[in-house]
Amino acid sequence: MLLEAQHLTKTFGDHVAVNAVDLQIEKGSFTALLGPNGAGKSTTMNMLIGLLQPTAGQVTYDHDPKLGVVFQGSVLDDILTVRENLQIRAGQYRHVPTDRVAVLSQQLGLTTFMSQRYGTLSGGQRRRVDIARALINEPDILFLDEPTTGLDIQTRLAIWTLIQRLQRDHQLTVILTTHYLDEADAADNVIIIDHGRVLARGTATEIKKRYAADQLTLISPDVAQLAAQVTQKPLRRTTDQLVFSLPTMQAALDILTANRSLISNFEFRPGTMDDAFLALTGKEMR
Amino acid sequence: MMLAMIKRNLLLYFRDHSGVFFSLLGALISFVLYLVFLKKNMLTSWHQMPDAKPLLDTWLIGGTLAITSITTTLSSLALMVTDKEKHIVADLELTDAGPMRLFTSYLLSAAVIGALTQLAMFVIMWGGFYLTDGLTLSTTAVLNTLGLMVTSSLLAVVVNAAIVQGIHTVDSLGKLGTIVGTAAGFLVGTYIPIGTLPSFAQGMVKFIPGSYVAALYRQFLMDDKLKTAFSGNLAARNTFDRLMGVRLNWSTLLTQQETYLIMGLIFSGAVILVFGVEWLRLQRRRRVVREQ
Repeated sequence: MLLEAQHLTKTFGDHVAVNAVDLQIEKGSFTALLGPNGAGKSTTMNMLIGLLQPTAGQVTYDHDPKLGVVFQGSVLDDILTVRENLQIRAGQYRHVPTDRVAVLSQQLGLTTFMSQRYGTLSGGQRRRVDIARALINEPDILFLDEPTTGLDIQTRLAIWTLIQRLQRDHQLTVILTTHYLDEADAADNVIIIDHGRVLARGTATEIKKRYAADQLTLISPDVAQLAAQVTQKPLRRTTDQLVFSLPTMQAALDILTANRSLISNFEFRPGTMDDAFLALTGKEMR
Repeated sequence: MMLAMIKRNLLLYFRDHSGVFFSLLGALISFVLYLVFLKKNMLTSWHQMPDAKPLLDTWLIGGTLAITSITTTLSSLALMVTDKEKHIVADLELTDAGPMRLFTSYLLSAAVIGALTQLAMFVIMWGGFYLTDGLTLSTTAVLNTLGLMVTSSLLAVVVNAAIVQGIHTVDSLGKLGTIVGTAAGFLVGTYIPIGTLPSFAQGMVKFIPGSYVAALYRQFLMDDKLKTAFSGNLAARNTFDRLMGVRLNWSTLLTQQETYLIMGLIFSGAVILVFGVEWLRLQRRRRVVREQ
């Protein structure tokens, strides 16, 4: 294991932000910490990085790794250019090759705005510069705290593709937090956190299988009769619709074939990350 | 590694043109107001003195430079607080530079800014007085003054850093800046000669490191003119020095060496305090790691 956390706990006064979290991160893996606002994702990450001291529990690295961190907020200087920002950070490390900033700007597509001030960049451009800054010391582990929050869908996709490419091409270990559920689909390792506790972990497919039921929606001219025919209790019922939550696709097929004469149309949808997430964390807002 | 940090701090300071402008104006405004409101008054009370004008001019330059060293280093240390507040420190500390180098780089860049601003102020003030009163200065005076700009900046930086260490928001630092800016002129005896202050106020002035800086500036800048003005009349010269804060009075009037010694002691004390606090903070953090 490259990184292991045991019973990681952080309290702020009476408030328990992170509650006995266990984590194992393998080299080259891609882990997404998923959770609603205030779930304890960032606090967990800050303890892994070493910026916060855990109240209890410990973080162990198998050797002294180089870390790269993309923070949630901007940590570069608005009135300096992209090149100045990156050069200055590069100067703060030992053994950074002189062409490192040039290489990174090529790799991450920053060349067109290297001389522009960081503060004048668009959200997506800034994010790429932030990632370049995190990669300056060729880290073993890249942490990203909500890297795509507040970006439009195209930019999110671009940033996401970039991170995946970095992980694949450079055998980078990636750990990120997000509250966009679709993003977690691509991770090897999804950890759903809420109220400081780990609620579920596994691959996205595993989690969906375990926590998100498939949904079958039937449209019928005679809803009452159809409901009487099916033994299972529907999840929702309207004047022309019945919605069932089913464990497997097979169960859906059984219902469809047995009642085909009563069904005018249907929709079958496998469980999504949204379903799993809502099932785990509830619908309450915070 | 520290050079990269210092470069960043200086770039951030000097690229903010309006910031530089207002920082200079802040130092100049008291000087200008002095000229408008108080200079005439003081000149009248000095009327029997030969060379009254250049003497008063250099006296004012010395005091203003001392104020400048205090206020500009304080405002350039704001970066330390901003970085903390915006969590930029977290990112900076991830690098190989480490927290101690980071801290030192803030102090050094503030000292550079302090010295450069004093230089700019010196040029402006001397230029102004050269045009109006035909003020000239000897090469020795100028060289000594330039040297003192560096010393005074370093001293002001560590003393200010001791205060800034306890401040965590830019907002409260701004308020502190206003207080210091307002008080500094009186506390180092720039506006009102120290000798005319009540004895409690005189005692207070002697607690302010900047007062010693002001005294040295006055000695360097005024010495030639005082020598001619008092030509051998030692008692009168001593009275003047004490009254105008050219030399500060402990049990006797301090010599230049003694003044330097006191400044050196304050400097060393502040360095030990400031770095000690920073070191303790780091130790506490490390200890937590070991306990886990």
